[in-house]
Amino acid sequence: MTTAAITEETKAGDANGATAREGRGDLLDQVSASPRPRVSASSSPSPSSPPRAEEIAVRVVGLVKRYADGTEANRGIDLEVGRGEIVSILGANGAGKTTFLRQLTTELRPTAGRVEVFGVDADREPRRAKGMMGVAPQEAGLFESLTVREHFELFARLKGLAKREARAAAAEVMCGLDLVREARRRVGALSGGQRRRILVGLALLGRPPLLVLDEPTTGLDPDSRRAVWQVIRRAVAAGATAILSTHYMEEAERLSDRVAVIAGGRLAAIGTLEELFARLDKTYRVTWRDEFGAERSNLFGTFAEARAFVARESLSEFSIARVSLEDVYFALAGRRLTDAGGAAGGTNVTGAAGAAGETRKEGAR
Amino acid sequence: MRRRVRDAACVFRIHLARLRAEAGPFLLAALVFPVAMFWFASRVSGVRAGDPKSLGFLAGAVVFSISLTAISWLGYLLLENRFTGRLKLFATLPLAPSSYVFGILIFAVAQAAAGTATLLVVARAVGVRARLDAAGASLLGATVTLTMLCLCGVSVVIAARARSFAEGTLYTDALGAGLVILAPVFYPADALPRAVGAAAAWLPTSCAARAAETTLAGGHAVAPQLLALALMSAAALALGFRLMRWRED
Repeated sequence: MTTAAITEETKAGDANGATAREGRGDLLDQVSASPRPRVSASSSPSPSSPPRAEEIAVRVVGLVKRYADGTEANRGIDLEVGRGEIVSILGANGAGKTTFLRQLTTELRPTAGRVEVFGVDADREPRRAKGMMGVAPQEAGLFESLTVREHFELFARLKGLAKREARAAAAEVMCGLDLVREARRRVGALSGGQRRRILVGLALLGRPPLLVLDEPTTGLDPDSRRAVWQVIRRAVAAGATAILSTHYMEEAERLSDRVAVIAGGRLAAIGTLEELFARLDKTYRVTWRDEFGAERSNLFGTFAEARAFVARESLSEFSIARVSLEDVYFALAGRRLTDAGGAAGGTNVTGAAGAAGETRKEGAR
Repeated sequence: MRRRVRDAACVFRIHLARLRAEAGPFLLAALVFPVAMFWFASRVSGVRAGDPKSLGFLAGAVVFSISLTAISWLGYLLLENRFTGRLKLFATLPLAPSSYVFGILIFAVAQAAAGTATLLVVARAVGVRARLDAAGASLLGATVTLTMLCLCGVSVVIAARARSFAEGTLYTDALGAGLVILAPVFYPADALPRAVGAAAAWLPTSCAARAAETTLAGGHAVAPQLLALALMSAAALALGFRLMRWRED
């Protein structure tokens, strides 16, 4: 039986209510609805207009991390994040995202370069810089025998809040992250997703002006993920700035003002979604399975070119969709999102197939 | 300063709350093993409850309790904090490293006080009566506190330097019991080979046992031991502070 699907990617807005950020999906729809400008992808970061000096929340200049064994995790990252911005950082495992965020949060000393948080040199005055941050590390253990409420209240106190303020902050965060019912439960009895939400909640305590969240929604179910997005949006609507790393393209698309791609310890690109899409010289993706069951895809400049390819190859099962952020990511980062080693699946954007398209083999599923 | 004290108190409360669910290991380290050792030593040597030697064994049990609590149990918690990523929760806060360490030290001293007091009560229940007056009790308190601080310093050093959780727990387990076994606590000092005996005399557990035995017997002449313990505590804690990595290089 022959089946074909021609789909348009739709990005519905978050159904959980309106905030200042709720238009993110709509923005993407607008971008998707009109043909994107075709500008060749380059290896340098995009010329996204930087924030004005007085509006800068985080300034990173020439950040390098070289370990004792000679491994270079970061090779000179420059980045400016404006106040009230949400910047998502994409990159394969091992690309340098976590190293970058750990340098930002002062946990890891840079080999070279400088990080300023609201004008404070984070390396020279780490406590002052940390006082303006809420940090959710990628991997941090909680205290199994403490209850959820105790975690929030005690850590709020450690953030400098008075007892009453700490109690209020704990209640606010538990409410926002749907943890009220778990307030009296010990953390040891909670699921991995609930623990992840607690880590995000700890970062939000005391409404810090800067949120640094390392993969805040990894391992969360869709409802919990939306709850986390919602609290991040609320925090930003209230004046905070957020920098987060993620493996989820949808998260980056829905949350971010700008998306940064880190590859090989360098900032491969940074810009708004429009700017990043503009760097990909393709608009449509044809996806099909080859005779071995492996998913393959080609990118094309126009819908007509995509249809012509389908006809020429006599594809029986295929889909044509607008290119996604993932396609842009592959083009910019040059490899799969899941592994910087790039061993599994052999998936580079190759540009080998056909005049109008590039073939990507996703690997048999 | 006020903020640091408050932060240290919070760190103390966080660790104290752990005891609710993890009281078992603490009771084993602070009470069950030392009481068993006291009973074993008394039976093997044929010392009865009223014998002055029994106070020596009681002093040994107190030191054994402190050693197990400070190094085996607390060292384990510090290693756990480091290797399970809990330390990150503190390190990413605007918290002074000293507040974290002092919070842990308050927790340790509270445990030592609880363990020692319980041991004295248990000893009294089996007929071993310590001759403690107010000054003696203060000196015993100082001995317990300084010993705990010194051994906590050793724990901080192990927790900071261990390359893995397994390596760290191996050191804490070995030292927790080893420092008591090497010190002539449950046997006469002259039973050791001369070189080992000379070295063992300078162990913090040896100093602590001598001071504890003296005060339990009603004596007050423990200044040299307290001075030695204070110096060793300062050295161990200074080294621990120096080695503890709040920020990674």
